[in-house]
Amino acid sequence: MDVMGSIVYPIAGLLGLYGFVSLASLLWEGIDRKLVARMQRRVGPPLIQPFYDFLKLMSKETIVPNTANYMFRAAPVLALATAIALLAYTPMGFTPILASKGDVIVFIYLLALISFFKIVGAISSGSPYAKIGAAREATIMVSREPAMMLAIFAIMWRLGKLGVDKPFSMGIFYQHNIWEIGTPMSFVGAIILLYVFCVWLASEIEVGFFNIPDAEEEIAEGLLVEYSGRYLALLKLTKALKAYIAASLVVAIFFPWGIAGHLTGLSADVVNLLFHTLKVFILLFVVGSVFRAVTGRLKITQAVDFLWKNVFLASLVGSLLLAMEVIM
Amino acid sequence: MRAPILVPTVLRNLVRKPATNLFPKTEPVPVPENFRGQLKYNVDKCVGCRMCVTVCPAGVFVYLPDIRKVALWTGRCVYCAQCVDVCPTGALQMSDEFLLASYDNYDDKFIPLKEEKIEEIRKKLEEQKKAKEKAKAEKAKAEKKA
Repeated sequence: MDVMGSIVYPIAGLLGLYGFVSLASLLWEGIDRKLVARMQRRVGPPLIQPFYDFLKLMSKETIVPNTANYMFRAAPVLALATAIALLAYTPMGFTPILASKGDVIVFIYLLALISFFKIVGAISSGSPYAKIGAAREATIMVSREPAMMLAIFAIMWRLGKLGVDKPFSMGIFYQHNIWEIGTPMSFVGAIILLYVFCVWLASEIEVGFFNIPDAEEEIAEGLLVEYSGRYLALLKLTKALKAYIAASLVVAIFFPWGIAGHLTGLSADVVNLLFHTLKVFILLFVVGSVFRAVTGRLKITQAVDFLWKNVFLASLVGSLLLAMEVIM
Repeated sequence: MRAPILVPTVLRNLVRKPATNLFPKTEPVPVPENFRGQLKYNVDKCVGCRMCVTVCPAGVFVYLPDIRKVALWTGRCVYCAQCVDVCPTGALQMSDEFLLASYDNYDDKFIPLKEEKIEEIRKKLEEQKKAKEKAKAEKAKAEKKA
């Protein structure tokens, strides 16, 4: 058995990615806060403010409510662990470390599991505000995922028709992409699916319309109301990682082009990773910062209506258009 | 969806200069004329008429009958300036100072007339009184002789 190739290199790669993505995603949070501040004609905090926040939260006293059970302590750790594990399946400018046949299911599963752990942690705190937040998070989670799943499965199936060695793997975006199909209908379908994925990304990172589960003004921070100190730091880091990962998915599907050119091996991967990070930042700027700056939140009922009646329908139409010439 | 109308505004703002005053690095926003800042007390002008004690809504002033002055603690001041308006000698004035944060409620800057100063005035008054009495006594003696 090839110990180096199958165990040591993937672990080293995962650790490296984890280090890089932690820094990049927290840095993005700082850039995001700065940009939104400038949009509102404020100066905003320094770019590395999220790092200060993280260190401060880590050093603060952690208070655990009397009513909390053991999942309250376990959930933030599990959520972060899930996010780190997810990095091994996230396309970031190159084929994911553990890419294999059908790992799109693992990707979707782990992404949903992060929200699930947040919900479990919140309902374990014993605070009714956290429970309301958890109920909202669960509601919005089941409303947003079907549109994304339908779209991503349709895209992967369609790309699989073009001939790939590992169908339904997160790596296939770097072999064929959605714009290569080439028919006008598939082009329109891809545009519609881009809209679907942008809305999905906004609801995944809970900005703009979808800032519902943590609604500070209505339900006192919602999910995170009882968390403090170290656990809150872990959850904030998880949130930043998740934003980067979710945006990575959208970038990989719609804008997978690299700039490595004739470079090969590790240097190509590093260049592609940096370029990919730039694309992620641009996408998060459009979907996160601008969207956050120009809109308020919806009510939970309006958000569910919007996700099912608008986004899911768009996903259905886009998928059908994409699949048209294969079906007919 | 009415949201997109804000997008041009927001993007225009992005390239504009922030409309804020970076206070600790720059001077604070200048105060207007007749700004009501911290209350200043001039002991020498004070004649002890007790008008400020009557008019103050916050109970800043305490009248000291033996020296005929007022003691005051501006930590409780509400900056209404009624004492300034009513003071016949102009011993009370509003200043421009507004950066008054302190770790101590009884900081020196909140108490314009200090204990030592009160003692000093008291001694001075007593000396004056003694001198007067002495003068009186001498005068009486002189009258007796005559």
